[in-house]
Amino acid sequence: MSATKASRIGEEIWKTRIDKVNAELVTLTYGTIVAQLCQDYDSNYQDVNKQLDKMGYNIGMRLIEDFLAKSGVGRCANFRETADMIAKVGFKIFLNVAPTVTNWSSDNNQFSLIFDENPLADFVELPDDGRAQDELWFSNILCGVLRGSLEMVQMQIEAHFVSDVLRGDDTTEMRVSLVRYIEDEMPPEEE
Amino acid sequence: MTVYSFYIFDRHAECIYKRRWLPRPTSVAGKPQTQGGPTGLGQTVRASDDDAKLVFGTVFSLRNMVRKLGGDDDNFISYTTNQYKLHYYETPTNIKFVMLTDLKSPSMRIALQQIYINLFVEYVVKNPLSPVEHPGGVGVNNELFEESLEQFVTRVLA
Repeated sequence: MSATKASRIGEEIWKTRIDKVNAELVTLTYGTIVAQLCQDYDSNYQDVNKQLDKMGYNIGMRLIEDFLAKSGVGRCANFRETADMIAKVGFKIFLNVAPTVTNWSSDNNQFSLIFDENPLADFVELPDDGRAQDELWFSNILCGVLRGSLEMVQMQIEAHFVSDVLRGDDTTEMRVSLVRYIEDEMPPEEE
Repeated sequence: MTVYSFYIFDRHAECIYKRRWLPRPTSVAGKPQTQGGPTGLGQTVRASDDDAKLVFGTVFSLRNMVRKLGGDDDNFISYTTNQYKLHYYETPTNIKFVMLTDLKSPSMRIALQQIYINLFVEYVVKNPLSPVEHPGGVGVNNELFEESLEQFVTRVLA
């Protein structure tokens, strides 16, 4: 499936099958969660990142079923298709953005998602304590969502942000690497 | 048409939901019923665990064989015996839906997909009280899901 076809599918589902909520509600709710976590972890941003990733992971494991139910798409033939599906269908129908897929590694196992817009980060300023700029990945929940949802469709991946406009970088970029395809589980042996 | 039974298997090859609507035809049971619980009013019957295991073994092998012969995208849809028809639907997340019906039934593939989309995802996956994994059927056996399944099978499919 080509990237343009994926875009069409994403657009179509977004228009016809998605219940919308106010974007600011999402932005402010998410911002509040991150702010609360920063407080709870006493501004230990590594822990905040970790916790966001974990929350995302749990979301992803359920979200994938909703994604499949809404989109009705089948299995992707290769990791390149998977990337387009994530960017053009997944992000489109749940966040109404379509990040650019780029920077493929030569073995086709790693790619980057460049976010031109990121609804989670609207109105956001990172804490001005001299550390948040270097340590906090504000939208880290998205990494967890990808990890959780892809694990359910038999792909173990690793995802992390490499740059974020909130930190003063030029772009917001997430790096996604395929670790392995997960084998089907067999029923336990009869004793 | 008549629906005999319905099973859901998760990605860990565990049966997370099963339901029977009719007792097995006597010709299949052969001998007087020594096992299997009472068959009260078309309610869930606690049959022995063996049925589910047999069904899983069958669809699992059949699916793997079909993929070997027909390529990774291939999937089997149903098979028919002299006594019943087995319908199969698998999601990309490896959740398997199996339904046993009588021979007159048309393809149940769409129906199984509908059960996944409209019942399983809505009432089990999106249920915040239901865990992500369902060992022993935890979370799948909630009232909303069971009742709507009952309605779906008795009203829509009847």
